[in-house]
Amino acid sequence: MKIPGWIVPLMIVAFTLAGLGGAELFAIPSVIVDYPEDRADRGGEMRTVTLLVEGVKCVDTARSAARTLEGEEGVIRFTAYASRNRVEVLFDAGKTTVQGIVEALEGPVFEKETGEFHFGLYRVVEIDGAGISE
Amino acid sequence: MKRFRVGFQLAVLAAVLATGFRFAMGWSRTSIETYCPFGGLESALSLFTQQRFTCATGERNLALFLALLGLTLVTRKSFCGWVCPVGAVSEWFAALGRKLFPKTRREGDGAPLHALEPTRRVDRLLRWLRLPVLAAILYFTFRTGELIFRGFDPYYVLFSFHGHDVFAWSYAVVGAVLLGVVLFPMAWCRYLCPLGVSLWPFSAVGRLRLVRNEGTCTGCGACDRACPQAILVSRKPEVRSGECTLCFECTEVCPEKDALTLRFRGLRP
Repeated sequence: MKIPGWIVPLMIVAFTLAGLGGAELFAIPSVIVDYPEDRADRGGEMRTVTLLVEGVKCVDTARSAARTLEGEEGVIRFTAYASRNRVEVLFDAGKTTVQGIVEALEGPVFEKETGEFHFGLYRVVEIDGAGISE
Repeated sequence: MKRFRVGFQLAVLAAVLATGFRFAMGWSRTSIETYCPFGGLESALSLFTQQRFTCATGERNLALFLALLGLTLVTRKSFCGWVCPVGAVSEWFAALGRKLFPKTRREGDGAPLHALEPTRRVDRLLRWLRLPVLAAILYFTFRTGELIFRGFDPYYVLFSFHGHDVFAWSYAVVGAVLLGVVLFPMAWCRYLCPLGVSLWPFSAVGRLRLVRNEGTCTGCGACDRACPQAILVSRKPEVRSGECTLCFECTEVCPEKDALTLRFRGLRP
């Protein structure tokens, strides 16, 4: 069967769109951290907040971001999707707030290897899909 | 078709440059690496063994790589000839090389060669270089969990606007590659490109093929001289080579009407 040449760029566009569309259909977490269970009240109100965090871009930075929440009461689980700069935090709404989580994430990060604190590594730019103005 | 293809390549190049510039200026969180299908292949081993992506790659790289395999099964290595910005830049540098060294020569069997182009036999041997390059990149990327070769990657070095991990020696290496392309046509694509070699087996069984009509073909060899991948089109009933990028350079220069046509080959041999 004879085929016109323009079919080639048409196929390229079709497959590219399929690839870009297909990428939105699945997400593989880069890091999942479960904090000690006694941080939450039994029967407390559990909430999940989805944050877009500048600075979370690979497994290492996601792990480091998870460490910033280690001292935050009520935080139960931290899940990062580094390729999308996305972080999901499950927390006990009776013990902490979204604002508390954002402040902890944007706070100083202690690096065990060097014993130094790093500031401004992470910046939350969206909370549950809503952008944060400067 | 040639003008249309160059327009297509320029459009892709402009999109890549815009993405790279926006990321470098801090206006966007999407880097050019997000759209590189090779990142999907680099992450494949990590995904199988550790259920995680290699640093700086993600779902988009994997989905684009799978889509690229599908595309290659139909339209051969059309990605290389139409989309890949490094392929486009290589073509333009190779054209510059042909202008600088316009003399051609012939092999013993009469096949045409550009001035410094290696003979077909050496060319076939050199193409195997791509396999150790691919193996080294996949192995060390898996071991380190990082895209540690990005500083040597022409795509990243040329279009990231001095991105992370790009140093003076990165420009030296990529400069050497581009000089190589001027001297030896399409040297990067033919002898070093790891994505190109990983697509090769899929391209070899690709269904769209250029078929030569032996009734109308006069055997002038214009197609052989035009092919950027050094395929001897005039000596085959149809182009089955896994290196064919469906760039249509051969049909463009063919003086006979319908001597070369694009055809869909069914699954029967």
